[in-house]
Amino acid sequence: MTGDGDGLLDLRLVARQVRYEQLAFWLNRLGAIFTVGFSVVFLVFLGVSAGTSRVKSLGNIKLIQYYVPGFVAYGVMAACFTTLAIQLVNRRETGLLKRLRLSPLPTWVLLAAIFVSTAVIALVQVVILLVIGRLGFGVHPPTHWGVFVLILAVGIFSFTALGVAISTVIPNQDAAGPVTSIVFFVLLFLSGLWFPITPNSGLAHFAAWFPISHFINAVFASFGHGNRVWSWNDFLVLAIWGVAGVVVALRRFEWAPRRK
Amino acid sequence: METAVTRSARNRLLTTGTTTWLGYRRLVPSVVVEGLQKSYGPLRAVDGVTFAVERGEVFALLGPNGAGKTTSIEILEGFRHRDGGRVEVLGVDPGDRRVQRAFRTRIGVVLQELAVEEYFTVRQVLTRSAGFYPSPRPVDEVIDLIGLAEKADAKVKTLSGGQQRRLDVGLGIVGRPELLFLDEPTTGLDPAGRRVSWDLVRQLADEGTTVLLTSHYMDEVEALASRVVVIAQGRVVASGTPASIGGRDVSEATITFAVPDGVTVADVPVPATERAGQVEVRTADEVAVLHRLTGWALDRGVALGGLRVNRRTLEDVYLDLVGDRPAVEEGS
Repeated sequence: MTGDGDGLLDLRLVARQVRYEQLAFWLNRLGAIFTVGFSVVFLVFLGVSAGTSRVKSLGNIKLIQYYVPGFVAYGVMAACFTTLAIQLVNRRETGLLKRLRLSPLPTWVLLAAIFVSTAVIALVQVVILLVIGRLGFGVHPPTHWGVFVLILAVGIFSFTALGVAISTVIPNQDAAGPVTSIVFFVLLFLSGLWFPITPNSGLAHFAAWFPISHFINAVFASFGHGNRVWSWNDFLVLAIWGVAGVVVALRRFEWAPRRK
Repeated sequence: METAVTRSARNRLLTTGTTTWLGYRRLVPSVVVEGLQKSYGPLRAVDGVTFAVERGEVFALLGPNGAGKTTSIEILEGFRHRDGGRVEVLGVDPGDRRVQRAFRTRIGVVLQELAVEEYFTVRQVLTRSAGFYPSPRPVDEVIDLIGLAEKADAKVKTLSGGQQRRLDVGLGIVGRPELLFLDEPTTGLDPAGRRVSWDLVRQLADEGTTVLLTSHYMDEVEALASRVVVIAQGRVVASGTPASIGGRDVSEATITFAVPDGVTVADVPVPATERAGQVEVRTADEVAVLHRLTGWALDRGVALGGLRVNRRTLEDVYLDLVGDRPAVEEGS
């Protein structure tokens, strides 16, 4: 489809579009504060209220040592899943996607720019949360950086795909916030973001069907806690959800507003 | 008959470089639509629409909501696939994915609503769009053209409805389109805003841009378009110039004036009726009737207050054309 395009020129187009995507995100102050601020506020509140509590089931580590990896995972999911899904529904319903589709900007350039921009927002949060964990609560950064980077990459891919996928089943702007938030927060709760879930409990088995607990577990493991650093199972379940997200997104994605 | 060889040669001419096809411009219509078909499930949204738009012309698609205007436009823009019929826009088939990117550098689109992030400034929004096109108009020139020089660095959300609409037109023309699609350009604008938009459309047409607009405002079509096609229930029900459409130019005229003092409608020397203090005379031969009326008035020394000769308005014609075809329930 882009046979008439010049490869290098197209990459420059991607870079240019990423810049505008970033501008669009950060200029929308409320959205930016809501996305980035939420994870920071949650971590600080939970960290302060956790005090010196420890988790017996996880080798007696401090609770805050559990929360920092958890909220790193949360930051990625919030940016890639919730924020992206809401933004896509808004763009579709206001006609922004249609306008871009009718411009000569190649579709793949737009999608690549959205993906890269979303990843940047996710990574900015990761850095902020790691710094707060280190300076505020004395939580050391990941001990296994290779695993950490890999799981972040898979997580960003999968949750971005799922964010696009869920945006295609949300009918209008009014529903976008509530639908994504309910799905997200219920699964977060069941997946042990707010409190560690007892291994092998019924809840743990239920949560294992969904990608969130695997993502949290894998990020947690890369911090060197627990008895393993690497779990194929976590990566595989996360990746399968990601691929499913891609399939749904490709089949259902629409450029035109749904409303009449 | 045009052969496949000449057609491909022409398409090549049209899509490569500006110098070659400039001389060719007048020979090829901007838009050719023949027997266009599009269904949504059982609903035939567009059912055999045929029309052609010449280069440099302002052409209007007129019709009630749900008539198939927007669907037709979206097919011409290459945004929607058609089920059948022939479509050629600027010499290419807009549904052909291979030419789509090049095609989109040559068209401009103004949607029914301004679709941009409202916290961007006017200049940012236009600069971003300008970057999509190979030879855009300078952003400052666009800003001047749409009369937003004083608002260039204001955020979009601080603009009035009319100013946002003008920005929307700016986004449509920043790529120097050969063909501009205007989907209901003045819906929701106040009268002053409409005038500004109309002036802009006229200016673009003067510069040689072909304009294809949809509207359900008759006065807008009359003010802007050189030709009009009326669509109802997915079919063309009339076409022609705004002045002649639906036999408007040859139909009866209505002469009205206030009932003069001391005179009843029975005294009027031609067949007439009275309605709300007005004498109404319907005739196909208004010259002769006016001659008799004015002669009679001078003889009797009566005034013909507010004397007017009215042809059916475009709105009358339009309502006649689409009136007995209620808008389709679905999609309206």
